[in-house]
Amino acid sequence: MLYFLPAFFILYGITPKNMKNVTLLSGSLIFYALGEPRHLVLLMLSVLSNYFVGLHLQPVKGNRKSKNRFQKNWKKLLFIAAIAGNVGCLAFFKGRTDQAGLPLGISFYTFQILSYLIDVYRGDIRRERSFLNLAVYITMFPQLISGPIVSYGELRQPIRERQMTAESLQEGLKVFTVGLVWKVLLADRIGLLWREVQVTGFESISTPLAWLAALAYSMEIYFDFYGYSLMAIGLGRMMGFRLPENFKHPYMARSVRDFYRRWHITLGSWFRKYVYIPLGGNRRGMTRTVLNLLAVWMLTSLWHGSTVNFFIWGGSLWFLIVLERLLEKTGVGKRLKVIPHLYLWIVIPITWMCFAITDVSQLQIYLGRMFGLVEAINVRAGDWEKALTNYWPLFGAALLSCTPAIQKLYRRWKDTIPGMLVLAALFWICVWRIAVEGENPFMYFRF
Amino acid sequence: MKKIQKYTFLVMLFVFGAVYLTFGDNWQVYAKPLWQMRSWYQETMAGGEETVSAGDSKEEGFGSISGSDSVSDSDSVSGSDNADDSLQEESQAPATGEGDGTENLTGQGDQNGQSQEPPQLIVSRRPEDVEYRTVEDDYFKDALFIGDSRTVGLYDYGGLEDTATFYASTGLTIYKLLDAEIVTVPGQKEKLTVEEALQQYSFSKIYLMIGINEMGTGTVETFMEKYKEVVNRIQELQPNAIIYLQGIMKVTTERSSQGDYITNEGIEARNTEIEKLADYVKVYYLDVNPLICDETGGMNPDYTFDGVHLKAQYVTIWKDFLKSHAL
Repeated sequence: MLYFLPAFFILYGITPKNMKNVTLLSGSLIFYALGEPRHLVLLMLSVLSNYFVGLHLQPVKGNRKSKNRFQKNWKKLLFIAAIAGNVGCLAFFKGRTDQAGLPLGISFYTFQILSYLIDVYRGDIRRERSFLNLAVYITMFPQLISGPIVSYGELRQPIRERQMTAESLQEGLKVFTVGLVWKVLLADRIGLLWREVQVTGFESISTPLAWLAALAYSMEIYFDFYGYSLMAIGLGRMMGFRLPENFKHPYMARSVRDFYRRWHITLGSWFRKYVYIPLGGNRRGMTRTVLNLLAVWMLTSLWHGSTVNFFIWGGSLWFLIVLERLLEKTGVGKRLKVIPHLYLWIVIPITWMCFAITDVSQLQIYLGRMFGLVEAINVRAGDWEKALTNYWPLFGAALLSCTPAIQKLYRRWKDTIPGMLVLAALFWICVWRIAVEGENPFMYFRF
Repeated sequence: MKKIQKYTFLVMLFVFGAVYLTFGDNWQVYAKPLWQMRSWYQETMAGGEETVSAGDSKEEGFGSISGSDSVSDSDSVSGSDNADDSLQEESQAPATGEGDGTENLTGQGDQNGQSQEPPQLIVSRRPEDVEYRTVEDDYFKDALFIGDSRTVGLYDYGGLEDTATFYASTGLTIYKLLDAEIVTVPGQKEKLTVEEALQQYSFSKIYLMIGINEMGTGTVETFMEKYKEVVNRIQELQPNAIIYLQGIMKVTTERSSQGDYITNEGIEARNTEIEKLADYVKVYYLDVNPLICDETGGMNPDYTFDGVHLKAQYVTIWKDFLKSHAL
């Protein structure tokens, strides 16, 4: 990273305007090869085949009926085959449980490909004739690995023409720095508490510590993912792209439903656009709505992983959202002030534990410990006080950063000299942390 | 001027970067790969004749274990200097309960000359001659545990925090052991080093388990050299204590094959050498590994999350092992 990014941006900067996409595509492929050379071919084949499929999906215009029908059927067949091929490929890798793991970013780029194919088939966007442009869209390195998931309609124009200015470059760098800070200085460090608890074993933690660790994980996963998204947005901005926001203060939500409108927004809207609405959304009666929601959440679970715990996670979210919809009709929520927030902060950490613990029997133990239902073995007295003394500054910083206050602060100061000084310093502090941990990965996990 | 103003943030970033790289890192991040490339280039140019000096000190595995025969089996005091030291300072027979049935050996050579009246001096015994007994927790009330994060785990979850003394800290290595400022003294803000603490307090049993953090540095020999030195120093400071050298706990087979310097082979090589230091008179060797390992020879994966540390509920296995191997 420390070599790739500077080298890439220098090269990108000196590339003439009409060649910038070539540099970007090569950069993206090199980036992918650095991360995971094994599956580079898979990515390239995927891009290539879907480019050709996309060329043939556009609805035909004209009035010669007989030919039209034949073409229509043929397109439908091709469309279904293409969707099945892409989904099948994703499912194949998701279903494999061996250690090789998923090809890097496959969940994200497959969803971008699907959105392109569906949009073209529906006639929402025109097919892309330029292989280069489409390849840039799918492989663009800032968002290749962990989103945001962008539809081709949003990116077509900037891919064809965009401006890399001093302003966009620096603006992007600032956003990138904020993302880096979230990831390196907050997520990675508060995540250590979660890690400590795993090393200790769930049977041997006190109930308060179980809640603290669940909270720590909730913060870790948020700032990790939010950080990556911001870095992607920042890198995109440096080149002149404007990628969509992926998070909008989810922990300030007042319901689970609201939470997932603010969490990983681009994935949520993907499912909304391509699954929920086509199934009829909420316009076909309550039963149908509930079932549509179930479909969406089961697919969301599957997208995250194929082990049972993800279905427990998605299932419980589905259940809570349905419950909230029913309660909403009574109009209770609007009159309450604090309770909805409290409810969210209790429920979300519990669901995150279902997300984090892949072994169901371990999950049972953990949830049991959260509610004191499972007998503890060998708990250290006062373990949560110790955790709190070690981690309270991080908890404080994390909770504060969940509110919009930090964003306001950032907007207010980012263009002033002191603000920029702080950001530049933070940037290099992060680099220093990464260097220290890279040299000695056991920095924290020394034995 | 306008141009600089336009690029303020970028300039700041570069300036801060230059400051950081100059003072924090000496440009190593960028210089190292260049050096590596250069040496690689030189190497290929020289046709492999020239060896590159950039080689890091790597773990050597067992190839390097010294060929000397094991100490515990030899009839005489072998060259192992720690046995010499301890017995020279202590000329009385150790207070082992069942010393009579064992092969008592009188010291030879210079030792005979030094001890004025050698009353059946026990120099060393065989491990199978030692009869351990099983004890209760209060056995540890005058015991000291020294070690790394695994010993910290014993402190946290062994239920001995009010009984025994622990000089343990995460990341402790044999190289830092004596100088590590990890001993808290009630009412004092400054921490003592282990060496200072050993000078001030005395213990009758000292348990030592250390050696996994230093696997990335040096070889088995360099490790053992320092290990012997530390054991000697501890004996010097605590001449009356029984010293239990514990074999390093192994990691899971999966963790061992992860590809970094921590391997069970390396641990075994070190344990073999540590075992040789035991004379079973004042210095004993205890190895909990048979109780926590599975048939693959590594730590049982059910007992651990990270492959290295015992989960809290399984720390008891270790503790019970120590309780059933007391003198």
